[in-house]
Amino acid sequence: MKYFGKKLVSLIITLFMVSVATFIAFQIIPGDVVTSILGTEATEEREAQLREELGLDKPVVERYVNWMGGVLKGDLGTSYRYSKSMNEMMPVAELIGDKLPVTLWLAAIALVLIIVISIPLGVLWAHSSSKFLDAFLGVMTQGAMAVPSFFLGVLVIYIFGIVMKMFTPGSYISYHTSFAGFLGYLIFPAIAIAIPKIAMTARFLRNAMLGELKQDYVRTAYSKGCSKNRVMYGHVLKNAMMPVITFVGMIIAEVVAGSIVVEQVFSLPGIGRLLISSISTRDFPVVEILVLYIAFVVIFVYFIVDMLYRVLDPRISGR
Amino acid sequence: MKRKHHLKLNKYLVAGGIMTAVMVILAIVGTFWTPYSTTTMSAAEKFAAPSLHHIMGTDNFGRDIFSRVMKGLGTTMMVGTLVVVAAGAVGILVGALTGFFGGWIDEVMMRINDAINGFPSILLSLVVISVLGMGRQNVILALSIVFIPSFVRIVRSEYIRLRDMEFVNSARIMGVSKMRILFVHILPNILSVFSISMMIGFNNAILAESGMSYLGIGVQPPDASLGKMLSDAQGYMFTAPWYALSAGVTIVVLVLGISLLGEGIRRCSND
Amino acid sequence: MIKIEDLSVSFQGRTAVEHVSFSIEPGEIIGIVGESGSGKSVTALTLMGLLAEQASVDSGRVTFDDTVLLEAGRSIDKRLLQKFQGSRMSMVFQEPMTSLNPTMKVGKQVEEVLQLHTELKGEEARKKVLSIFDEVGLKNSDMVYESYPHQLSGGMRQRVMIAMALILEPELIIADEPTTALDVTIQAQIIALLKEINKRHHNAMLFITHDLNLAKTLASKIMVMHHGQIVETGTPEEIFTNPQDDYTKMLISAVPQRKKRTCNNAAQRNQKSSAAKGLKSFEEDEDNRKSIAEQIIENLQNVEKEHQEQCVQNGSREILRVSDLDVFYKEGNNSLFGGKKKKQVVNGADFSIYEGEVLGLVGESGCGKTSLSRAILGLNQNYSGQIQHFTERPQMIFQDPYSSLNPAKTIGWLLEEPLRVQKVGKDDRKQAAMEMLAKIGLDETYYRRKPSELSGGQRQRISIGQALITRPHFVIADEPVSALDVTIQAQIMDLMMNLKEEMGLSYLFISHDINIVYQISDRIMVMKDGTIIEMGETEELFSNPREEYTKILLA
Repeated sequence: MKYFGKKLVSLIITLFMVSVATFIAFQIIPGDVVTSILGTEATEEREAQLREELGLDKPVVERYVNWMGGVLKGDLGTSYRYSKSMNEMMPVAELIGDKLPVTLWLAAIALVLIIVISIPLGVLWAHSSSKFLDAFLGVMTQGAMAVPSFFLGVLVIYIFGIVMKMFTPGSYISYHTSFAGFLGYLIFPAIAIAIPKIAMTARFLRNAMLGELKQDYVRTAYSKGCSKNRVMYGHVLKNAMMPVITFVGMIIAEVVAGSIVVEQVFSLPGIGRLLISSISTRDFPVVEILVLYIAFVVIFVYFIVDMLYRVLDPRISGR
Repeated sequence: MKRKHHLKLNKYLVAGGIMTAVMVILAIVGTFWTPYSTTTMSAAEKFAAPSLHHIMGTDNFGRDIFSRVMKGLGTTMMVGTLVVVAAGAVGILVGALTGFFGGWIDEVMMRINDAINGFPSILLSLVVISVLGMGRQNVILALSIVFIPSFVRIVRSEYIRLRDMEFVNSARIMGVSKMRILFVHILPNILSVFSISMMIGFNNAILAESGMSYLGIGVQPPDASLGKMLSDAQGYMFTAPWYALSAGVTIVVLVLGISLLGEGIRRCSND
Repeated sequence: MIKIEDLSVSFQGRTAVEHVSFSIEPGEIIGIVGESGSGKSVTALTLMGLLAEQASVDSGRVTFDDTVLLEAGRSIDKRLLQKFQGSRMSMVFQEPMTSLNPTMKVGKQVEEVLQLHTELKGEEARKKVLSIFDEVGLKNSDMVYESYPHQLSGGMRQRVMIAMALILEPELIIADEPTTALDVTIQAQIIALLKEINKRHHNAMLFITHDLNLAKTLASKIMVMHHGQIVETGTPEEIFTNPQDDYTKMLISAVPQRKKRTCNNAAQRNQKSSAAKGLKSFEEDEDNRKSIAEQIIENLQNVEKEHQEQCVQNGSREILRVSDLDVFYKEGNNSLFGGKKKKQVVNGADFSIYEGEVLGLVGESGCGKTSLSRAILGLNQNYSGQIQHFTERPQMIFQDPYSSLNPAKTIGWLLEEPLRVQKVGKDDRKQAAMEMLAKIGLDETYYRRKPSELSGGQRQRISIGQALITRPHFVIADEPVSALDVTIQAQIMDLMMNLKEEMGLSYLFISHDINIVYQISDRIMVMKDGTIIEMGETEELFSNPREEYTKILLA
């Protein structure tokens, strides 16, 4: 419990540092935001007015406090680019609101695919004494890890969409319309995200199990009269799963990152696409919030994984 | 040189070596000469399927895809190389100093490292790109910054592992200076681990660069890029699937070659 | 009962065991003695049916009563072996830390044997495990049952291993170096336990060790193995008094013996023993240890003063003086939040070393002897008190020749590095390195080799050469032979003694093994829990130890 408290403090500090880093990063942008919005022709008065509107005339610390205070209260600021109507600026929160579920569901489906497929695959691989299977899986996983996710996305569209006609590329169904249709469509981008990670995780688990099999306690288990199955599932698997937990935690961050790219390939209206288009149009308030949000999610996931690990591994939790 | 005696060729080494060699040759040749001009357009030869004249076919402007792949390969490999060299150099310096000396500097560096590691790498490069703007130099700069922490981490953990080894104590007792211990005594011992992580880093840099270029925020025209080609090609999947496949498969072969080579070296040095 | 006939085992073409035959009868303890690579462990593992998959049985067979467990040319019947493993024969391994599953409660691990071979379940099984824990001397068996291996001490873990081996009262227990990883005092307890179990249950025991003396104390029959063959079999008396085989003779002569030495100053010795009399209580009185330690230190300071006067009279120069030295060690995880704790590891060390003298330092692992040497060498600045060097800084010979030589460099480079630091020219360096190679008994071809191409003994020679190449006066040797095989140990000890005479060296010789220290030292210090509890001339200390603890070490 003492450890939990320590980690919680460290989590808060990390979150704070990330928020400061993100904020500072967007303060040192070359070129003036105001000029980029109004163009070079605007009058000085108009520029000063906009500066005040955006809060750019205040000192940095005050701006950070205002910004972060707003974020904590749920006020995420307003977009430079989008507007609700002529006189009303677009709140970032509204912009993100209906895009968030798309990305979260995509990442969740991908993660489920990764865990459900890679763990049995890794165990099977470690357990099998077939040279052929070993070589086959070795080549397949090496290959799968070398394919970039956007190319995988393109291949999935080509194979499942164009050749096999299992879905119509570009015909995204909003979750408002049909939740089942929404999930059915997301399966395909999720496959594109998952394939390299499945390969990585399966390899990792297999190597972890083979490493455990060399440990002395395995010999002890055999000396008691355990069968190979019992040694594998009763002793080795639990020990080998410990590092895999941490590994999967790291994968989650990459799954989130992967979804940013894959959303683009499948034209999904998630926060990844919003992020990319906001970067292209230099819509910094939106980029800032999205970066902060994704970083928070990732750091929080790390925290959860770390806690889980502490609970499950008696070598650590017993201290 | 001596090491060659121990280096038994294995399948990984051969396959990876051949793939990497082909890619390197294509990239180097491509910077000086390509079979066709990469800019000349030809409406007549639009979407020509692969043939003896155009071994990868032509694109929507009738340009030779193979020539463009060669150019793009050059860009991609240059970005990858510069990124790992820059990030690797910083990684060795910072990792060696923090790992060996420890203390509060190490503590601060590790906190910064953790904070950076909190971001998925592509997200961080997106931040740097959005701050600095797009283009080849900025992609290199962004990826270098993003890759530094992972190199620091690897080098640091190797130095922590080695700093309490008896041979380091032995050097201290002899009166060897700290800098000499760091870079003459310890450094050669981490090179095999480090070179493998350089290869992994190179692959990640290539994947990140092509990913960013695919998203349209990486390398900008007129610089050729495999990622940009793939995103252009995606619209013509019905009519000219070879366009997308050429660019995509080239990236896969490049990455696979390097990772097989790394695996081969790892297996060799373990035996 | 168990018969091994003409057994040969090889690993990928390399023979590990060659035509070994012997039998084991109920109740007897057979000791298999041999150095690493002699095939003793492979023999045991074959008998247990635990051979690695790469191994192949080339000839012979193993029979248990009337059942053939293993036979060359027949595929291994795993089902059959599993029936015997754990129930009729069982094994205790060397490393109690790694031989238990780290993520499973030890009670469950022992109980697994019951699950595999009996119908016992639930509470009944648990009771049986608790009773066997009691039998092997584990107190608080309930708590031990619920513990994970890392929560237990080395000795307790080994008792758990023994409980696991014993629970179904098998006819044969194989113990493979069961005490090697343990401290001397714990070793004695475990050996006593094994003996007692043998007496009570009348089971056969196969005891595998590299330590001839240990085999002698335990076994009723000793088999000596060398290069995969049994070279000699006999009772301990036969083996020790009348060894037949040359290898056995060499092995016996290599075991540190307590030869009679010439004493040079009887009067001085008498003074010393009187100076520190009546301090046997360090062991017994835990509560007042601190004050007793202070008393001991004060007394030893007097002893030291007398020795100093003696040496000055003899014209010996003082080389090192350590006065009132406390050494600390920083604990803590080095994080911003974790506070750093200072832990005292050496308490009031006070001694000098004189020209041409060998001072031995004996103590178990964790007693502070290495921390003391690190402070003297300047590797740990965290101390109070005084360390005075009257010559140049000492050099050091390390314990583990596998980590003390930089694996990335050649032998020549390694030997020259100390000279390079002193800015000696290139040609002179090379010449010095070549001369040193000759001195340490290696030929010139070693100049270009790398440490990985050398054996442990050869590496230790290089380590010695590296320490001596700058012609120092004073060398600290921290367990220089304890990572080596017995015969190699003897060679390295000889080399160290010869070089001492030749180069006029002084050694501070550190070891956990009092017999090794005895061979080389003029004086011996005994260290326990950070305090030097006894110090004296070697002969005096051996014939008349004052502290209980010293007596245990000598036993």
